[in-house]
Amino acid sequence: MPLLKVDSVTAGYGDTEILRGVSLVVEPREVVSIIGPNGAGKSTLMKTIFGLLHARQGSITFDGHEITRLPPYRIVRMGMCYVPQVSNVFTSLTVEENLEMGAFPAGKADQTESKERVFAMFPKLRQRRRQLAGKMSGGERQMVAMGSALMLDPKLLLLDEPTAALSPKLVDEIFERIARISESGVAVLMVEQNARQSLGMADRGYVLANGENRHEGTGRELLDDPNVGRLYLGG
Amino acid sequence: MAESARTLGDDPSLDASDEAVVQARDGGGMRSSRYVGGVLACVLAAMWLAGWYSGTSAQEMLSLTAWGVMLGGILALGGIGLTLCYGVLKFPNFAHGEFLTLGAYVTYGVVLAMPQSEPIWLFSFGWELILGLLLAAVVTAVVAIALDRLLYRPLRRHMSPLVLLAMASLGMEFLLRGIVYLIWGSDFHFYYSGRSNPALYLPLGLRLQADQLFVFALALVLVVALYWMLTHTRIGKAMRATADNPDLAQVRGINTEQVIAWTWSIGAGLAAIGGVMYGLASQLRPDMGFVLLLPLFAAVIMGGIGSAWGALVGSIIIGVAMQLTSAFLNPAYGPAVAFVLMVLVLLMRPQGLFAQR
Repeated sequence: MPLLKVDSVTAGYGDTEILRGVSLVVEPREVVSIIGPNGAGKSTLMKTIFGLLHARQGSITFDGHEITRLPPYRIVRMGMCYVPQVSNVFTSLTVEENLEMGAFPAGKADQTESKERVFAMFPKLRQRRRQLAGKMSGGERQMVAMGSALMLDPKLLLLDEPTAALSPKLVDEIFERIARISESGVAVLMVEQNARQSLGMADRGYVLANGENRHEGTGRELLDDPNVGRLYLGG
Repeated sequence: MAESARTLGDDPSLDASDEAVVQARDGGGMRSSRYVGGVLACVLAAMWLAGWYSGTSAQEMLSLTAWGVMLGGILALGGIGLTLCYGVLKFPNFAHGEFLTLGAYVTYGVVLAMPQSEPIWLFSFGWELILGLLLAAVVTAVVAIALDRLLYRPLRRHMSPLVLLAMASLGMEFLLRGIVYLIWGSDFHFYYSGRSNPALYLPLGLRLQADQLFVFALALVLVVALYWMLTHTRIGKAMRATADNPDLAQVRGINTEQVIAWTWSIGAGLAAIGGVMYGLASQLRPDMGFVLLLPLFAAVIMGGIGSAWGALVGSIIIGVAMQLTSAFLNPAYGPAVAFVLMVLVLLMRPQGLFAQR
């Protein structure tokens, strides 16, 4: 049984329809990458899966439960966490408080343990635990955001362009972290503009264009597909 | 601000430029908190001297200063709720003044209904006032949550513009005041008319009533407790997180509606206690909340709207300034004094003394 199943979902804002019947699946422990040109609806798809935007048609199931109309705070409790592309840390809270807010639904229970787990994955955050997240650099913020999302030990992590606006060196580092998160048993669904690199590490990928599924396959297959290469990977 | 830097694209020097943007904003023609604080200290000193020069004795000026700090404590109880609501809900709640009035009058109702007990220590009031105070905080919190459910939440759900929410709250201000007039009439009241509350002789020739000491001590305790709550408890941190970024708070699994209900109850409860304190220190009037609303806004905006610490500091500065100027100006000019100080601060530092980034 797939962990996440998105079935012919349509969604949009106001009169504009952005997703026109998108389907995808994520199996447990899998890394799945969504690529596609700007305006293809990648971010909208993430928001719809996470309940920030209501699907107009179609259904979304997670871990065997229908989540199509659930608000985000209910979906989080089921084991799916999301890292938005921008504004993904609380700038006026410290790093440690940001992590605690990541574990908000768990109540007071085992916060220290979760924090230790995240600090082990991102050692830099341990040194900076008392610093305000707003005073950190873009790369560090991304780690705070991913760390917060991992506090609940989710089954599925949604990442919306985790490497946007980062220097090439930091991009490599973030991809390395994602690989380690995946090794720890968390399934990852990510939207990426660094299409080659993300398909290179993904088990499978989807190409989205104009709010519809265009291609799908393993990461290798999509990288080798001449059509995908010409249209979406820049030649 | 940081987001705009992030969307600039693949900038290898992003870490450095991010830092530079932060510094440019802080240095961008604005004065530091310390500088503004220094100017305010000079202004207060000038008021002190002006009062002294106009024939008020130094001891009386000292007493006025102490009363000012007490008035500041009362304003802080109201102002903290105002600033919390603004932080989380992003609209100025003009009905906040009525929470003070309502709290004061609910306590008055309890004091009238209960048999009068002996005054505690040197205070003018007995245990029934303490009971009334607690009950008033609860009743006002319930009223605030009910207002939110019936009025503000539907507006929020429809993504109403800010001005609509602000005007709705102004309407509520008038409605609640009308209800107070209807139930308790337009007369002035005292909690204990005829009971004497002589001033204590304190060192330095300071003369204060025991009640005034109580008002100040309680305000201080509540403000410290609130500060502790915001920085050390789960719900307090969630309130700060929701004020910082409501969308992300939802993403992190925080039930923001629940946080909003907490914000209303804490803000309204503190305001109710502030209202009782004001009634105890002067008298109960149906328009007391409305009269206090302007200094409240001045204090909160001066301190940096959204910041609890700023509300406290702003309130004490405004309270002291209002009392000091009463030595040589008609006290009716109090709100004007408050606003002049607020404008002075905003000209030097538009985001207020302790603005949140």
